[in-house]
Amino acid sequence: MPPERLLILGLGNLLMGDEGLGIHVARRLAERAEFLPPGVTVEEGGTAGFQLTCFFTHYPTVILTDATLDGQPPGTIQLLQPRFSSEFPRALSTHDIGLKDLVDGLTLLGQMPELYLFAVSINDLQPMHIGLSPEIEAVLPALEAKIITLAHQLVNR
Amino acid sequence: MAQRIVIDPITRIEGHLRIEAEIKNGKVTDVYSSGTMVRGIETIVKGRDPRDVWAFVGRVCGVCTTVHSLASVRAVEDALDIHIPANAELVRNIMFATQYMHDHVVHFYHLHALDWVDVVSALKADPKKTSEIAQSISHWPKSSPGYFSDLQKRLTTFVESGQLGIFANGYWGHPAYKLPPEVNLIGVAHYLEALEWQKEIVKVHTIFGGKNPHPNYLVGGMACSIGIDDASAINAERLALVGQLLRDAETFVQQVYVPDLLAVAPFYLDWGAIGGGLGNFMAYGDLPTNGINDRTQLKFPAGVILDKDLSRVMEVDPRNDDEIREYISRSWYEYSVGDQEGLHPWKGETNIKYSGPKPPYEYLEVEKKYSFLKTPRWKGHAMEVGPLARVLIGYALGREDFKEIVDSTLAKLNVPAAALFSTLGRTAARGLESLLVAQWALEFYDQLISNIRNGDRRMADTSRFDPKNWPKQAQGVGMTEAPRGALAHWIVIEDQKVKNYQMVVPTTWNASPRDHNGKMSAYEASLMDTPIADPHQPVEILRTVHSFDPCLACAVHLYDQEGKHVSKVKVL
Repeated sequence: MPPERLLILGLGNLLMGDEGLGIHVARRLAERAEFLPPGVTVEEGGTAGFQLTCFFTHYPTVILTDATLDGQPPGTIQLLQPRFSSEFPRALSTHDIGLKDLVDGLTLLGQMPELYLFAVSINDLQPMHIGLSPEIEAVLPALEAKIITLAHQLVNR
Repeated sequence: MAQRIVIDPITRIEGHLRIEAEIKNGKVTDVYSSGTMVRGIETIVKGRDPRDVWAFVGRVCGVCTTVHSLASVRAVEDALDIHIPANAELVRNIMFATQYMHDHVVHFYHLHALDWVDVVSALKADPKKTSEIAQSISHWPKSSPGYFSDLQKRLTTFVESGQLGIFANGYWGHPAYKLPPEVNLIGVAHYLEALEWQKEIVKVHTIFGGKNPHPNYLVGGMACSIGIDDASAINAERLALVGQLLRDAETFVQQVYVPDLLAVAPFYLDWGAIGGGLGNFMAYGDLPTNGINDRTQLKFPAGVILDKDLSRVMEVDPRNDDEIREYISRSWYEYSVGDQEGLHPWKGETNIKYSGPKPPYEYLEVEKKYSFLKTPRWKGHAMEVGPLARVLIGYALGREDFKEIVDSTLAKLNVPAAALFSTLGRTAARGLESLLVAQWALEFYDQLISNIRNGDRRMADTSRFDPKNWPKQAQGVGMTEAPRGALAHWIVIEDQKVKNYQMVVPTTWNASPRDHNGKMSAYEASLMDTPIADPHQPVEILRTVHSFDPCLACAVHLYDQEGKHVSKVKVL
């Protein structure tokens, strides 16, 4: 697959502590672009919902990173391939409604990209706090390595 | 026997709106509207450079993006007596129109349609009959039997796999849903087409404002340079794309949005007598064609209508200390002048003092303070703002463009003008004004192209950008019409910094709590007497509240972890 067709998208609210981990990951990957296949796009999706439509329809393959409040120990990383919004982990933080509407809409339109979701369990939202808790900070290197490995696998397949 | 129902949150996207209603004999007999989240941006911008404020306040809401930035730059320009060049006015107007078309279409299909369209019923539609109906109401090309049958198959697969997804929160099968399966299928088809279309129209914002949401504004004009052959400026190719996007938007509004509105409305004419509410309407007006200070040359005229009296439109003056005031007697704030006084926004205060129940709570203490929204009043009157206010004011002033769209719609639906004062009227007004805005957008575009051809490329007046040229003290007001209604920001500048900043936003007018005299605001008044078939599925309340297009993030979801409306019913 040409690397231009792969998008790495971090989601989350930067102002809510661990909830913003997707944004932290996107920023760190953008700084370490030399480890990614040349031509792969890294974007911060923030808390957007419908506004992500153009990204989802432009890129046939998308690697998403987001926080989840699923009750698992903080820092637990799961790789999921959700096909419907109901297959997203529970309470995918605060911005999930727009995103889920978008996923279902695109599925019905037959325009949903191939989606890989790294869902990282967090303990809590911390309103009006920028930065990560030590538990989440500690798993970021492993998470970045997983994303980089998957990106290479997808480009080389 | 009375029952109290709570719907929390009530919007499908932003913000925290809660409605508590009492139901007796199948009707709403009392109702309280509450914003349960603090905004507080006014406090954040105090002490900052007035030229930067647009970037902060723009973030109040990502749905009605641009509107707060526009109000902010206008407030600063008003304070410092800055007059923007004609091209900047045209670009702001084009972005304003883009925002309207995007917001109104997304509201109709994605935030409001499912109150009227039964998705599950669409599975029973006959694709051939659906196609005949679609072709009888519009020239829109995607209307063949095959198109509808393909969509129906995908929808069936989706639903049969147990994936109602986006459609999981509807009260499907509720007796208040009246559309035949074929019209429901058209509604679902256009819900999906609108999802695709909306990603295109916002490109206008990215071309002129660099990004979307939250495009860039500039005190004194717009931060986009025109260079027909310049690869990094607004060049001929980008201008051509803007023209194409605006023409496509006009087609979508004319051939999809408005025909759907007129196809759905005949099945819900009873809603032309429900949800009217206050009968008082206010608009600040917008879309200037001769500078914002020439209030006679606005595409959307300003004014006030009281008690549904369309024979008289009064003037509104946001500078007058006695006209617009905000009260907090039922809101979780305190004023230095006491709880019973109202303050004009130039003297406004944002001192939060929460005195409600400790969350999680079952009910608000509605007899005391119960909202983070203040209660604004015009000369003491509660006002409804929004599309219905704008359309009624244009109509009452006798403007031909407004008369034409309103009279032709009333004739098509065979309803009297009184039906305008209703939930249906509010939803219809939003579609009808979209027709006007779509046409005006192309006028602004043609004028911009003509100016550029004639060699006028000025986009900003920066002669007063340097704070050295400012007076020691200045105050200004920036008015606009957000898609949801009249919006204004008031600024006081002292020693080149923001001394005070107050925003009175549309949803504050509409969704605020009762005032110091116990008088209701627009949401509460409009919900009184609403018939409720089943208190456990209060779709009727959602219809009327959604008809206002609530956006509570800017005014101060109700979904639980499973994404469902939290609605509680208790027998009193």
